[in-house]
Parts: sequence; structure tokens; C-alpha cells
Amino acid sequence: MARGLRQLDRDTFRRLLAVTVSALEGNDCKDSVRMIAENADLSEEQLAVLISGMYTLLREALRLPLPTFKQEVFKEDLKDLRIPDDFIADFASVVFGNRRPVLEATTLKQANSLPRVKDFQWRVDVAISTSSLARALQPSILMLLKLSDGEAHRFEVPVAKFQELRYNIALILKEMNDLEKRSVLKIQD
Amino acid sequence: MAAEPVPSEGSKPLSGLLSGIAQATYYGTAGITEELLRGQLYPEAAPEEFRALLAKLTAALKSIASADMDLNQLEAFLTAQTKKQGGITADQAAVIAKFWKSHRTKIRESLINQSRWDNTLRNVNWRVDLKSQSRHIDQINTPVAIVEMELGKNGKESDFLCLEFDEARVNQMLKKLSEIEESISTLTQTT
Repeated sequence: MARGLRQLDRDTFRRLLAVTVSALEGNDCKDSVRMIAENADLSEEQLAVLISGMYTLLREALRLPLPTFKQEVFKEDLKDLRIPDDFIADFASVVFGNRRPVLEATTLKQANSLPRVKDFQWRVDVAISTSSLARALQPSILMLLKLSDGEAHRFEVPVAKFQELRYNIALILKEMNDLEKRSVLKIQD
Repeated sequence: MAAEPVPSEGSKPLSGLLSGIAQATYYGTAGITEELLRGQLYPEAAPEEFRALLAKLTAALKSIASADMDLNQLEAFLTAQTKKQGGITADQAAVIAKFWKSHRTKIRESLINQSRWDNTLRNVNWRVDLKSQSRHIDQINTPVAIVEMELGKNGKESDFLCLEFDEARVNQMLKKLSEIEESISTLTQTT
């Protein structure tokens, strides 16, 4: 990749970098890459090597946590990879610049995880009378959970179960708070 | 013990019969047939005689359960039944009263469950994990809650729903649940 980079003019490099960052943010970049391929004097193979190289380089750099990852070290490393000096600053501005939170958020979102609750709706019902009970008058809760994987689940919760659920959610929150206070989170290399 | 009224002859099979009716009608126990009850409890009774008794008690229990009678209502109802022609005897009324006292809550609960057809939340399990690393992030170090909800329909096997919550979402969820709690307590206060 470094050899390919050395033959690039700054303008083309910046366009490639923009596409790579956009891909890291989870966007579909087919069209932009095609545009570059049409306008720049690069073979398909060169283009593939450049983009995938830049993508891998940035992904690895973004993986490291900011507090312990120093900009100077990164720049030194890029120098060792024989990346042109002109471009090193651009790479560094992606990794250490103000786009970083966006990139990190995308990475977190893409990480392996169970479905999350996207929307939670509820209704409290009181059955007045039923085929088996003349005066039921018993509240119960109907819940609708819409999940991040697109599924929706609807279910009834009897009052006793509801209290149990509420207690447990409160307990979870407390456990999470306690966990964050513990020193295990502050260990960094 | 001396204060307890001496159970009259036949009170044992009668309370057994009431239990049998409750099992079959309210607790969903399968396999309780007229034959079985007669054979076990009233082997000497003629089938027609037993069938009439069974029908009478089932009807009485149904009225009591459907109205979810309190003690006063029950007493009024049973007195009326003893006075009715072809009704129940005072001894039988005493056994029914005793039976209802000990089964009222359970029967009411089972009747309420009978009118629940949707999926119901059966159980909640959870665990709090600490996410440490992933392929593209060297240090995540945030707690995350994994919640498993057991959902099921009456008489069917449960589905398990596994969800992930970060702290903000747990907080949000708790707020919504508090809203529900408020709504329920306003309802129950006014009634």
C-alpha cells in the first residue's frame, strides 16, 4: 500500500481517505469508489490495494484506546511503514480528530450483541367481567417490546409479575452502578 | 379442638368431591371423571343419584366462584340453597363453606388466568456482564445487562427472549415501569 500511496497526488489521496472513513462509519461506498475509479488514473487492482490497506490501517488504529495511544507513536509507526509524510497528518487527523466519537459509536453498534429494546409501549387493562368471573376487576399490564432486530413481542404481565420485573430492573441498575465504581474498570495498561 | 363442630357422617367424601370438582373445573387436572369420583368417594351410591349430587354441587360451586363470594354473600347463598326444594342440606352447606374459605384465593386466581389468552410473562432472569474487548475495540469496559424473559401461553411451552441493555436503557426502562406502577396504584386506590 505504501508504494501505491507514494504515487498518489494529494487530491486523490484525500478522496480515497474520505471514502475509507465513510466505509468505517458503516456507509455504502460503492458509488463514491466508482467515481474515483473513473476520474483517477488507477487500475482496479491498485485501487483495491489502496482502499483495503487504508481501511485496515485505520481500523487497527481506531481499535486502540485513546488514553494510552499517543499521536507521536502512531506517526512514527506510519513513518516506519514508509507512508509519505504529507499523508501521515491526514491519517492522524482521522484517528485523533473530532470524527473519532462517530467512528467509535459505529464500531460499538456493529459489535456482536443481542437485540436491544428500540421501543417500549404499555397499557394497563382492567378486566371487568369474564366468561368465568362475574366481577374480575383485576388489573394487568399489556406490554409491547419492539426490538432492534425488527421483531416485536406482545405479552401480558400480571401485577405480581410486574412488581417482580420492576424490582429486578432496579436491581440491575444498582448492580451496574456498583460495577462501575469497582476498580477493575480503571485498570489500563 | 373441642370447639370444632364434629364432622357429620359423609362430610369427608363430600369435601373430597368438592376438591375433585375444583381440580377438574378450575385447576385443569385431566382425567377426573364422574366414574372415578363415584368409585373413590361414593361407591355405594347409585349412578343417577351420584350424578344429581355432582350436578348440584358443581352448579353451586360455579355460582360461588363466578361471583367470588365473600363470607356474608356465601352465607346468604347457602342459606337460600338449603331452603330451596331439592337444595342442599345444612351439613352440606357447612362443608361447602369450609371448602370455599380455603380455596377462594386459588380458584379466583385460576379463573383470572383462564381469561388470559395472550403470551404472559412467566419469569425474568438476568445477569450483568462487563464488556471488555471486541474485535474492533481494544477496551470497551462498560457494563451491560443480559435479560432473559420467559414468555408463554397457557398450556404451551415457553419462548425465551434474550435482550441486551446498556445502563441508559435500563434507566429508561425503570422510568417506564414506574409510570406503570403509578397508573396501577391510582386505579387500585379509587376502586
